[in-house]
Amino acid sequence: MSNISLYDELDREVESLLNGRATNSSHSGELADMLRIARDLRHLPRPDFKAQLAADLRIPSTPEAVLPTLFGGGYGNYPIHSTNFIASFALHVAAIALIAWSSVWLVQSRTLLTPSVETAVLTEISPYLPPAPTTAGGGGGGGNRDKFAATQGALPKFSRSQIVPPTLIVRNEDPKLSADPTVVVPPEVRLPQVGPLGDPMSRITGPLSNGSGGGIGSGTGGGVGSGRGPGVGPGWGGGIGGGAYRVGGGVSAPRALYNPDPQYSDEARKAKHQGIVVLWCVIGPDGRPHEMRVARSLGMGLDEKALEAVRTWRFEPALKDGRPVAVQVNIEVNFRLY
Amino acid sequence: MRALLTEVNERLLIEAAQQDRSRFAELYEQNFERVYAFIVRRVSTRELAEDLTSEVFHHALAKLDTFEWRGVPFAAWLYRIAANVIADRWSRASTQHEVPTDSLNEQGFDDDTERRAMLFQLIDSLPDDQRTVIFQRFVEQRSIAEIARGMQPSEGAVKQLQFRAMQSLRARVRSKHV
Repeated sequence: MSNISLYDELDREVESLLNGRATNSSHSGELADMLRIARDLRHLPRPDFKAQLAADLRIPSTPEAVLPTLFGGGYGNYPIHSTNFIASFALHVAAIALIAWSSVWLVQSRTLLTPSVETAVLTEISPYLPPAPTTAGGGGGGGNRDKFAATQGALPKFSRSQIVPPTLIVRNEDPKLSADPTVVVPPEVRLPQVGPLGDPMSRITGPLSNGSGGGIGSGTGGGVGSGRGPGVGPGWGGGIGGGAYRVGGGVSAPRALYNPDPQYSDEARKAKHQGIVVLWCVIGPDGRPHEMRVARSLGMGLDEKALEAVRTWRFEPALKDGRPVAVQVNIEVNFRLY
Repeated sequence: MRALLTEVNERLLIEAAQQDRSRFAELYEQNFERVYAFIVRRVSTRELAEDLTSEVFHHALAKLDTFEWRGVPFAAWLYRIAANVIADRWSRASTQHEVPTDSLNEQGFDDDTERRAMLFQLIDSLPDDQRTVIFQRFVEQRSIAEIARGMQPSEGAVKQLQFRAMQSLRARVRSKHV
C-alpha cells in the first residue's frame, strides 16, 4: 500500500470514529495501533483548558523550580541539616582556597619561566676552586731591543720594588745615582742567584745581550723573561711565573665601569637551565679583560654568552703603589630564571 | 532506584505545596492529564470531564493540608477525590451512585488511564503543525477540508500531517512501554 493510500485509509477510519460509525476491524499492525490512539484522542482535552484551570487555581502556569537552591526558589521549603550545611560550607571554602592557591602558583610559575640574568659579580673565589696543577705567580718581561736573544745567566736580586731594571750590557758606565738592579719578586723567594746576570731560561750563552725588551729577555717592562712588567717569567707584572697580580696585599681590586648583562641562550631558557658561570681572566692595566677562560662551565650556550658579554666590560684597573697593574680575577655570571 | 527518587521528589513537592500553595503548580503539571483521563473515561462529554477535572483540583488544593504521606502516590489520592466528585455528580442526577474503581491496581493506578494520560502529555511534544491538525481534527472535530482551508496546505498535506502525527505518537507510546 502506498503512503497516499495509507493517509486516505487512516483518515477514512478517523472520520468514521468521529462520526460514531463502525470502523474496519480487519486492520492490523501500524494502522490498527493508530486507530487505537485515535479512539483515545477523541477525549483529548481542549488545548487551553489546562492553562485556564491553572489560572482558576491561582497557581503559575509554568511551575517554578521547587528543589532547593542556594538563594533561589525553593529555599526554605526543606529541612536544613546543620551537618550538611557545615560540610557544604567547608567544601566550598576548600574549593575556593584551592582555586586561589592554584592562581598564585600559576603566576609564580609563569614568572619562573621568564629568563633573565640577575647580575655579574666580580669576586675572588680561587680559594674555592681546585688547585691548579702548576703554581702561578707574577711575572715580568725584559730586553733591550738587541738583535740577539738574552743570554743565559742568574737572576738579579729580588725586591718588592724596582729602581733599576737588570741589564747585561751597561750603557751608562758612570751613573750619577747608582742602585742595584732588581726584579719585583718577594724577597722571601729563594732561588740560586750566583754568577753573571741573565735569563735562566735562555739557551744562549754568548755574546752578552739584553734581548729585545726593556730588561732582560723579549718582554716589555723592566723584568726578566718574555712577560710584561718588572717580574720574572712570561706573565704580567711582578713576581715569578706566568700570572698577574692577585687582589690584596697592596693590590686594589679592579672596579667595573661598564658591565652589561649577558643574554640568556635559547637552549638554556627552553630547558629552564640556570646556575653560575665562573670566568677567569686578567684585567690589564688598560682596564680590559684579557686571557679569558671558563673556570666553571654551565653549558647550554651560557658559557659563550658569558664570555661574549664580559669581553665587552671595561674596568678601572687595579692599582699597586698607585700604578695600574694587571690582576687575575674570577667573575661570576649568575644566570637565573625568575 | 528511579522509582525511589520519583517518590522522594513527589513527597518533597507535596511538602512544599503544603507550605506554599503556589508550589502546587508542579503537582498539577504532573497529574492533570491523569485526572482528566480518569474522569473522561467515566463520563459522557468533554465538557463534563473538564468541569469535574476542575472540581477535583480545586478540592485537592483546598484539602492539601489534610494529605498525609503513607507511601501511596499523590495521583491515587487525586483519583479518590475524582471518584467522589463523579459519584456526587451522579447522585445529584440520580443516575448512578458508585463509581467503578475495579480497574485500579494496588498502587491506585488504572493502566488504561495511565496510557491515555501519557498520550495526552505526548501531544505537547509534537511539531506545531502536527499538533494543530490533531487538536482541530479530534477536539474541534473539523474535517480535513476545513482544516486545509484554515492552514492553507492541501488536503493531502493535512492528511499527511495527521498520519505523521499518529505515527509519531505510536512510536513514542511504544518506546515508553518498552
